[in-house]
Amino acid sequence: MAQQDQRAFGELVRRHQAQIRNFLRKLTRDHELADDLAQDAFMHAWDKLHTYAGTGSVIGWLLKVAYTTFLQSKRKSDRYGEILEELGHAEDARGTRITSHSDEIGDLDKFLAVLTEDERAVMILSYACGLSHREISDAAEMPVGTVKSIIFRGKEKIRESFDIESHQYG
Amino acid sequence: MKDKDELALEALFRSEPIADDGFSRRVMTRVRRRIWLQRLTLPVAALIGGAIAFQPLVQLIAALGGVLGNMPVESLAMSPDSVPQLSTFILGACFVVAALFFLPALED
Repeated sequence: MAQQDQRAFGELVRRHQAQIRNFLRKLTRDHELADDLAQDAFMHAWDKLHTYAGTGSVIGWLLKVAYTTFLQSKRKSDRYGEILEELGHAEDARGTRITSHSDEIGDLDKFLAVLTEDERAVMILSYACGLSHREISDAAEMPVGTVKSIIFRGKEKIRESFDIESHQYG
Repeated sequence: MKDKDELALEALFRSEPIADDGFSRRVMTRVRRRIWLQRLTLPVAALIGGAIAFQPLVQLIAALGGVLGNMPVESLAMSPDSVPQLSTFILGACFVVAALFFLPALED
């Protein structure tokens, strides 16, 4: 039984790792950190496998676990950063925050920078992961109406800040 | 029908598929390690508990032996009622079978 579970879970990891890592890489803008978080997310998924009701899509459930893992990690590193700042280690504190560590700031980073954390997560789930509004609602634990309004607001903000039509597509 | 903004956003968020590069193997190694740790926790806890309880248990048995040795012989004589009955044995066996059945589930 445990052997079968392991095999099935291994297949699940192989099948969905790219999407989970892509989501976390876009959210954290740090590849190494994103991959560490993705590993932790899969460990949480293994521990909580029994809570998956089988009603929604597996990738939706995995992205929900990944988003929760990201938020928990961010809260932890924010708290640690605050403690370091209180102790006067400002440089170390800045290094603990989950932010972009990349020197190279791409178009996407500039777009995401004008969004709040919730908006960023919802936009990534929608446009990078291709989730439906219903799936995003499950993954981000917010009503479908809120998801729709966040996407609308996000698009407005991006439109106001940038000329997105000038971006190459097709 | 998707508008231009929508297509531009999709293009912006699009990225190359991420190669596995041993990621799945690393996750499954951690899963297997977790399983072993969970399996070892109960026996190790029992061993530690046994080691801690060993000395007081030996002292208790020795003390009980001393008390029983000092008791008058007639008070130690067993009455037929004190011998376990067949129903007690069956009940005990049922408990053992139930425990064998539920313990793996508890471990999972």
